[in-house]
Amino acid sequence: MNFAYFLFLSLFSPLSPQDKSAPAPASNAQSIESGKSNFRVNCSFCHGIDANGGFRAPSLVSGHFSHGDSDDAMLSNILHGIPGTAMPANDIDEPTAREIIAYLRSLQKTSQPSASGNPEAGRKLFFGAAYCSQCHMVQGQGGRFGPDLSRVGAMRPREYLIESIRDPDAQLTERFVAIDFGTNPPTYELVTIITGQGTVFSGVVLNEDSFSIQFMDNREKIHSWLKSELKSVVHEKRSPMPKYTKQQISDEQLDDLVAFLTSLRGDRQ
Amino acid sequence: MIRRFPPILYLLNLLYFLYLAAIPAKLSAQVTPDQLLHSADQPANWLQYSATYDGHRFSSLSQINRDNVSHLTAQWIFQSPAPGFFENTPLVVDGIMYVSAQDNTAFALDARTGRRLWSYKRALPEKLRACCGHTNRGFAILGTRLFLATLDAHVIALDSATGNVLWDVEAADYSQGYAFTVAPLVVKNKVIVGVSGGEYGIRGFIDAYDPETGKRAWRFYTVPAPGEPGSDSWPSADSAARGGAPAWVTGTYDPQLDLLYWPTGNPAPSDDGSRRKGENLYSNSVVALQPDTGKLQWYFQFTPFDLHDWDATEVPVLLDAEIDSKPRKLLIQANRNGFFYVLDRTNGKFLFAKPFATQNWAKSIDSSGKPTVLPNAAPNEEGVRTCPGAAGATNWMSPTYSPQTGLFYVAVREQCDIFYAHPQPYVPGRIYIGSTYMPAAKEKDWGAVRAIDPKTGEIRWEYKEFSAPWAGNLSTAGHLVFTGDLDGYLIALDADTGHHLWHIQTGAAIYAAPITYQLNGKQYLAIASGSTLVTFALPNTPNRRRQPAARIPTAN
Repeated sequence: MNFAYFLFLSLFSPLSPQDKSAPAPASNAQSIESGKSNFRVNCSFCHGIDANGGFRAPSLVSGHFSHGDSDDAMLSNILHGIPGTAMPANDIDEPTAREIIAYLRSLQKTSQPSASGNPEAGRKLFFGAAYCSQCHMVQGQGGRFGPDLSRVGAMRPREYLIESIRDPDAQLTERFVAIDFGTNPPTYELVTIITGQGTVFSGVVLNEDSFSIQFMDNREKIHSWLKSELKSVVHEKRSPMPKYTKQQISDEQLDDLVAFLTSLRGDRQ
Repeated sequence: MIRRFPPILYLLNLLYFLYLAAIPAKLSAQVTPDQLLHSADQPANWLQYSATYDGHRFSSLSQINRDNVSHLTAQWIFQSPAPGFFENTPLVVDGIMYVSAQDNTAFALDARTGRRLWSYKRALPEKLRACCGHTNRGFAILGTRLFLATLDAHVIALDSATGNVLWDVEAADYSQGYAFTVAPLVVKNKVIVGVSGGEYGIRGFIDAYDPETGKRAWRFYTVPAPGEPGSDSWPSADSAARGGAPAWVTGTYDPQLDLLYWPTGNPAPSDDGSRRKGENLYSNSVVALQPDTGKLQWYFQFTPFDLHDWDATEVPVLLDAEIDSKPRKLLIQANRNGFFYVLDRTNGKFLFAKPFATQNWAKSIDSSGKPTVLPNAAPNEEGVRTCPGAAGATNWMSPTYSPQTGLFYVAVREQCDIFYAHPQPYVPGRIYIGSTYMPAAKEKDWGAVRAIDPKTGEIRWEYKEFSAPWAGNLSTAGHLVFTGDLDGYLIALDADTGHHLWHIQTGAAIYAAPITYQLNGKQYLAIASGSTLVTFALPNTPNRRRQPAARIPTAN
């Protein structure tokens, strides 16, 4: 088939790729179980053991995917990978991939995005009263001290976002620095540094090794030190982000904020 | 009329032909079996994977030593076009360096300048099965032939002067998960290789090939066939047929005992033992084979019924020492399971084992060498935290033994994983590991080079590293140990004390061991890092550096 003819044909294709799907296999317990096994073997290294997302790849439990929500799109992404991302083509057969999809669909039932929150009210909180944008950036607006959240809705499930706001120390997000297999990405952990002259800095590590440390202080200033020049480097094992209690953000406000965050999927607005 | 040549002309003619016959030997390196036997006496060359048959990775070169190592200067940098992990140990023969890259491209380089003499490119099939990153650890050489074992499970011979393919034989079907990443070992008139594929449910083997023709001389299956000794360590013929036990790291050889020592890897599936209950011979073992026949002389299994992917594919190092006032021929191995083992290499008898890294799975190793496994060490559906992690307390990265200090230096990974098990159906050619493992959350891994006294297992010193390493080590008669770290540093340590002497940032995580060689009186150090191979040497002469600056010519 030549390319122009292919384009011509695709003009008449149904708009929703979901309509083109081959009938999905019966999502019975057995194929879900088999899908779970195959997910753990093939996918969990990047997407997390229960598909809740890892630093290498997004959560897959929301049912909303940046590169297509239909079974066909998922199948294609699993088998052929997603160009321009870290998602590789996977050397598995189609029935196995369909079982993995059945497993992921079974997870969605227990994790629905917020229906109650108002994303616009959440946006106002983010850039206003809750001071989130002091440290976090969304589509080019905001601070650089914390993780950029422009795609956080695609990367993390709602439960994770709630936990990160109420208890930021629970899981420290990893920083995308080294992409080599086996290397340790630094996390957004609060680190306290005392220089040889006795000056104290609080901030986060951009990179670190046996001999040196690259560091952003809480005023977004970048420092480079050799460890031999420093008195101490203390990893505080907690996030620099404050815990937002119910006194600071009510449950209703949290709903709005999470509705805003789950709407962030990397689209330019 | 027939003119007769005077006899002197015949003689001159003969001498001339003898001279011509000698020229090719001068132009392209010839490596004889005798040279391989005495590799330690030719430190200017690097003739085999571990430098010498005993696996010491020690060089008697001492121009670079602990007093001047801080003056090391980059000499040349070779850029490999292949992406991925550059785990190569180059060979150096009479000024020519032979490098194989991770996609089975290969190069001959001028070892003085890094300029290419020839390149070899292999057309690999699209869907290779090598599980854990495409890689290749190097060549073996005999005569003027280089031997390379490829990702599509072939063994090939290249002409060392041209890179031309002399023979190419298929050892196994790559589409079933068989692959080669190993650097072959030449022993007498055999080219020996071990297969990769423990993550695909293969049946592991070690092969020997004729260097002239590529004809296979023997095959030793690392999983016995039904009815053979050891087959009762598997619950069924099916479980054994897909039992794994690959052999992907180059072994060692004792010419006096005429025994080849080859380490083997994990049983398959690695994390789920529910369908392979038994000791799973000869997985996670070292096998002692007769190199002429491939016949098994003895074996020792480090981790029976392994559930943590702890391949024993760490170089088995051979040395002679007194243990309990008795001279012994030893085989030592720092194993991925966290224990340092000392065996009698004449018969495989276990002498002792000691932990060299954090481990929480075995109470002890009993007098026969078997681990007493702690309860709750087996992976399950919910996940069980076990140390060392799946990558092990160490791994394939080469250790080194220095006869100068009597110490064994090993790269150590301090890291734990959460291991999950989940029965998985076997599909030929597909990943078959029975679930997965994850780094234990909120635990920062770290690494070290540890110096172990092989006579006692005692750790003499430790050099700490920020990250858990994947680089091997080299020791030299300059009282030095060279190592690399995961953050890209090439590091020199004092072999006696472990004191840091020098480091340089190479720009990418190091997944190889350094080598050293000498050319025109100058000692070089070479390391693969990222996609580059970098060499270092001392500045030409100290005098030259002290010369006064040249006078600047003036206009008049």
